[in-house]
Amino acid sequence: MRRVSENQTTRNLVSYALENKRRVGEYSKQLTTGLKVEKPSDSIDAGTISRYQQQIAKIDTYNSTIAQAKSFLQSQDDIVSQASQLLVRANEIAQQGANETLSEFSRSQLAEEVFQIRDQMASLANSTFQGKYVYGGVDDDDAPYDLQTYAEPVDGDANKRYVFDAEPGTDVSKTVRVSDDISVTLNTPADKVFGTSMEALERLSRALAGYSTNPASGTPDGTGTAYTFPDDFHTQTSDIKACIDLLNFARDKEMIPERVALGGRLRRIETGTALLELTKNSAKEALSRLQDADEAEAASNLQQAQTALQASYSVTAKVLRLSILDYV
Amino acid sequence: MANFTAKILGNSVSAMTASQALLSNASNNIANVNTPGYSRRDISIQTRIDPAAVDGILRIGSGVQLGEISRVTNSFLEDSLRRAVSRQGAATVRNEYLARVENVFSLSGPTMTVGSTLNDFFSAVNQLGVDPSNLDLRLNVLQKGEDLVGTIRSTFQEIANSQNELDKRVSMEVGSINSITKEVAHLNSVIAQRESVGVTATDERDQRDTVLSKLAEKISFNIVETPNGMVNCVLENGFPLVNQETSRDLSVTATPTFGGATMPRSLSDSVLSYVVYNFGSADAPSHLDLTQMIKNGGGSLAGVLQMRGYADPSNTSPYEADGDLVALATRIEALTRNLITEVNQVYRGGDEDPVTAGVQPRAGDLNGNTPDVFGLFDFDFSGVKDSDGDGAATATDLAATGLHTFSNLLKLGISSPDQFAAARDLDPTPGSLEFATGDGSNAQALAGLRTDAFSYSLGALSFTGTFDELYNSAVSTAGNMKSAAQLESDVANASYMTASSKRDEFSSVNLDEEFANVIKYQKAFQASARMIKTASEIIDVIVSLI
Repeated sequence: MRRVSENQTTRNLVSYALENKRRVGEYSKQLTTGLKVEKPSDSIDAGTISRYQQQIAKIDTYNSTIAQAKSFLQSQDDIVSQASQLLVRANEIAQQGANETLSEFSRSQLAEEVFQIRDQMASLANSTFQGKYVYGGVDDDDAPYDLQTYAEPVDGDANKRYVFDAEPGTDVSKTVRVSDDISVTLNTPADKVFGTSMEALERLSRALAGYSTNPASGTPDGTGTAYTFPDDFHTQTSDIKACIDLLNFARDKEMIPERVALGGRLRRIETGTALLELTKNSAKEALSRLQDADEAEAASNLQQAQTALQASYSVTAKVLRLSILDYV
Repeated sequence: MANFTAKILGNSVSAMTASQALLSNASNNIANVNTPGYSRRDISIQTRIDPAAVDGILRIGSGVQLGEISRVTNSFLEDSLRRAVSRQGAATVRNEYLARVENVFSLSGPTMTVGSTLNDFFSAVNQLGVDPSNLDLRLNVLQKGEDLVGTIRSTFQEIANSQNELDKRVSMEVGSINSITKEVAHLNSVIAQRESVGVTATDERDQRDTVLSKLAEKISFNIVETPNGMVNCVLENGFPLVNQETSRDLSVTATPTFGGATMPRSLSDSVLSYVVYNFGSADAPSHLDLTQMIKNGGGSLAGVLQMRGYADPSNTSPYEADGDLVALATRIEALTRNLITEVNQVYRGGDEDPVTAGVQPRAGDLNGNTPDVFGLFDFDFSGVKDSDGDGAATATDLAATGLHTFSNLLKLGISSPDQFAAARDLDPTPGSLEFATGDGSNAQALAGLRTDAFSYSLGALSFTGTFDELYNSAVSTAGNMKSAAQLESDVANASYMTASSKRDEFSSVNLDEEFANVIKYQKAFQASARMIKTASEIIDVIVSLI
């Protein structure tokens, strides 16, 4: 015959009640925090949970750098489109100016507008984004185009000369990591985008205004002199014509490729963002599955645990009240 | 004619005496219904043999007599209860400490962990890579770097402090073991004395069982009972803690005779003590190492040692010790050492001048200065840090400092935002440096380390993976240890419940049973009293005839 002693009964009843109470505590904590796993020992997937958390944090970092990179690239898109329009206008003027029916005086009047276009082009090349020179490469605290002067004339617009300022770092593009293994170039050095444009505008404006530039090809060195009319009238015409070729080259080989490249980078970033979003969503989902408490389940578990606890209280009270003394 | 009336009287009196003895035994059992460790007493009764009985006469019997009083116990049940208690003792300690340590690897909430600050630091560096001259972003890198260094230090400190605390607990546990074994030895001698005259020393045996159960809570041992009623408590390797009337005191020492001149250090650079028995004298000790054997057993002392770790006396590094806390600390320390060596090397930007011997830094901060050898992650040390002077932070340099632990000395090598070297040299000429403020390539290279795998080898740890993966392995390890301890604790509790239930089932008092017995003995007493009355009536009849 199995004996059951008083100690045994009490101990068992108390331990059942305690276990039920612990479960009520656990499920109500799950419900209030919304988390099933708070400490590493709460789940065998603790390492995985931590990994997902890191992954999400990393994607958030990429997202914020992407947002930064995107607005930077978009601002460049505006700059390059304005620059293209300036080139078109300059081309029109050059076509007009190359016409030998125009007198040297009429040509010098056309020069006025080209000087303006040149200045605008220079200011586009020197444009800033959040206080940094967009086309300065990594040397972004230094303007890519510096203002210098010609020996002749001694004043006026024709005296001004824009020189590309090649400092260390101006030829190094900024890049940014937009995911673990994709880096995107953020800017192109100024001379690769504006080099020919600036040269063409420089030559065109000076030629129209009546001054030659040296050397005959490549960046002017500031030593050009005034044409002597009428002897140099044809030279002036051929200089203007040369500028048309330069302007076409600037448009076809510099501006258009830059616009295409910008569009490509923006698209890459967007594709990257979409991919990151996908990864992030699936990571979040997986994390939630591993770490978050299922509210409905926790609630029903809590209900069950509460019922069990009440039952164990009532059983404990009933059983402990039983005594042979009531019958003898 | 035989005096049958006298027989009636004699038998009844014997029965009344027996009933009273049984009733008083029942009252003692009932009184001790809640006494822990009490084993119910049973008095055996038997028919009385009348020495005066003579053959040839009708033998009616001479009533009842009391046999001996015995404790209702089962040494097997007591043994399994003690084993369960030992198991529970070890699991409780591990569970308690791991619950504390586990918190530094929290997976939720606002708690800053090494994992979350690592995330934040690399995010900050990555963001700076896009806009390296932005002072706000630089300040952010500095703050997140301080957070990372701070959490590494505090996480390591928490683990090291726990180890220290446990080391102190070793001597406390050994102290109480010594006083319990003394008590067992004393009770042994009392029991032997009582029982030598043929009386079962029930109360003393009860007391000894309780004391043995207290001892089992501290340390696991085997019991050998000797014929004179004494018990010997013997450790797993045969070392007797209690031998009959004598007990052997264990001691705790940091300078055991079996150790060398330099003993293994603890995580906080103190010394891990050993549990030993001194065979020699106090002046000329000769120690027997019992630490590892006790650690492999049960009881709270074993739990303490398992958590704290056991170091072979020939070990030199605190990370060679074998214990739960050491395993966790090893991962943090491995991460720290990697930050100090690999990360600093990348932070210097590589070798600017391959012609000149040594590594000349190629990275530069906003002021055009290049970082020191331990430029980003530095440590408090007054001696020479780059011992070989090669300009690269390597494990060799760390070893040459003679320090065991860097996690609690870790600090940031930069103190103002402009000092963070985000740029790299743009001038290809060796020996000539040129930095651009908008250049974030060094910051980007640093941020890229996050996805690079490194090899970590420290103590028993041999791991290859990224920082994140190393940290995750620490999280899993902490989680697994705690779950295992929890499981062990649950199992130990269950087996304790079963064992104590079995013991109670057999030895503990059941009030129903006692009351049923009380009624039975009372009825027997009443019946015997009635017999005396009957005898008295018979005598009255006879007397009235006269």
